[in-house]
Formats: sequence, structure tokens, C-alpha cells
Amino acid sequence: MNSKDIIKLNNEMRKELTEENEAIYGDMLVYIRLNAKKSEQQTEEVLLELLEHLLQAQKEGKSAKDVFGSDLKQYCEEVIKEIPGEKKSQTLLFGTYLIFQMIGLVATVFGVVNYGIYHLFEIGYEQFTFTLGKGIVVTILGLVLLFIFVAIVLKWMKSSTFKQKKPNKWVEFLQIWLICTAYIALTIFMPFLIPDFGVAIHIPNIFIMLIGILFILLAIILNKRYRITK
Amino acid sequence: MSLRSQLLKGVLEGCILSIIDQQPTYGYELSIRLQEFGLSDVSEGSIYPLLLRLQKEKLIEGTMQKSELGPKRKYYHLTAHGKESLKEFMIQWENIKRPVEKILQKGGETNEL
Repeated sequence: MNSKDIIKLNNEMRKELTEENEAIYGDMLVYIRLNAKKSEQQTEEVLLELLEHLLQAQKEGKSAKDVFGSDLKQYCEEVIKEIPGEKKSQTLLFGTYLIFQMIGLVATVFGVVNYGIYHLFEIGYEQFTFTLGKGIVVTILGLVLLFIFVAIVLKWMKSSTFKQKKPNKWVEFLQIWLICTAYIALTIFMPFLIPDFGVAIHIPNIFIMLIGILFILLAIILNKRYRITK
Repeated sequence: MSLRSQLLKGVLEGCILSIIDQQPTYGYELSIRLQEFGLSDVSEGSIYPLLLRLQKEKLIEGTMQKSELGPKRKYYHLTAHGKESLKEFMIQWENIKRPVEKILQKGGETNEL
């Protein structure tokens, strides 16, 4: 059974939990799932086992704390420690998918917008001109920023589990809004800080758009073929 | 990890291997069996980190199978390596069981004096 099918089954079965057990199991699920370096297949298999166990225990009138102990975080750490790491090939596949998706989206939007404002308002140029050196640096820095952004969001989500008191929804919203805004601002302004160097390259905007669409298609094919997100 | 909890984990691992060896078992069933045998101090959830470790060491394998009632479950069975490891555990246990019991009994007697 593929990890994606197990996730679907987990979503179905979770509905049978009582409200109290759902809250606790939900936290455990988030906490254990957020370990990106661990095997997804093994993670989902053990999560389903824990859910199945909890459902059986629930029928006997036991609570989540009776089954997993009172220190839930500690218990989750013990489980995480024993989950094997993700295979290199899987990590590589996921990384490639993310990078293709990112390049595809940025290039498509960039191409369409530049093409549009040139032809509608006669602003800008028919062609996009950049220097090779700066182009490479900006692409790499963009991906590094994306990586840092994802890591921070994961950490933030992990820190939001197992809270005694329900945190204020507005505070949480403000925190995540700040993280997102900082990321977007950095990504947009970063290219202005990098000086031009290397050979100048001219590419028609429509061509950039086509390259973007090609990368998106490649990402979609990869996802269909290897079931990366679905 | 303290020596004591290591010992406990080792013994528990041996017991888990032995139960799975008798018939393919899934997590919840395994914890019930352990409790039926009187290991009620072992908290139910503690078998899952152990099952993960045994899988990593390739002593057991799990397969998702449809159960008669209810949803798909992960049933564990012993690998060839696991069967060997169980045999080893049983020999070691046999060797250690009597001496330890004797020592503990003697210890009890001297305490009474």
C-alpha cells in the first residue's frame, strides 16, 4: 500500500475518534509527520498503527494518555527516533519536483507578465536581457531562500503542537503572515542586490513563458509517475 | 539509556519475536497478547518504537493486509534473520535465567539474616 493511500485511509478512520482523542492524536500526527528526513512510507504505516490502536483502546474506554503515556512529546520522539531515514532516491525525486515546480511557476508568471505589459502598454522590452552569472546566482539564492522558508514553516508548525492552552488564532495568523511576507519580500528584492556579471543573454518573453510551462509539465509528469504529492 | 531499561527492552524484544513467530500479528493484537501473559506494566504504546527498530534490523517484516473485520492492518512476520535471532535469545535466556534466579534467592536469604 502506497503512503498516499494510507494517508487517505487515516483521514477516514480518524473521524471515528472522540473529540478529546482526536485533539491528542492530531497533535501526534503533525509532530511525527513533520520530520521531512524520515521515510514517508514508514511514517504513515506507524501512524496508521497508532490510530488503529487508539480506536480499539477507545472502545474499551481508555484514553490516548492511557495508551501512549502522559508525556506525549517524549513518546513521539521515541517513535521518530526509530523511523528509518528516507531513501536518497526519494529525497532527490522530491527535491527535483519542488525545483521544477518553482522554476516553472516563476518563469511562466514572469514571461506572461512581461509579454502582456509590453504588448498592451508598450512598457519594457520584447526580450528579457540578463547576464549569465547573475542569472545563476539569483536562481540558486532563490532556491536557498525557498528551502529556508520551508524549514522555518515546518519548525513553526512543530512548535504549535502539544500546547496546554489553545493559542490565540490571531497571534498564530500574525506569526505566519510575518514569515510569509519576509520570504516574499526577500525573494523579490534579492535580485536587485546582485550585480551583473558574465555574458549577456537575450530571451524573448514568450520563450521564457514556454520554458516555464515545460517545467510545470515536467513536474506534473513526475508527480503522476512517482506519486510525489498525491 | 540506563542499563536497566536496556535489559527490559532486550527481554521485551525477545518476547515480541516469540509471539510473532507463532502467527502473523498486528500491533494492537500484540499488545493484548503481552498483557495476557502478564506483562501489564509495559505501556501499550511502547511496542511501536520496538516494532520499528525490529523492522530496521530486518528481524521482522510488516505487510498491509485486509483483516476479516475492519480495515487494512499491518501484520508482522519473522524474517529468516529474525528466526535466528529468536533462537539466540532463547539460548541466552536459558543460560541466564537460572543463575539470576539463584542469585536473587540467595540475596533474599542473606537479607533475612
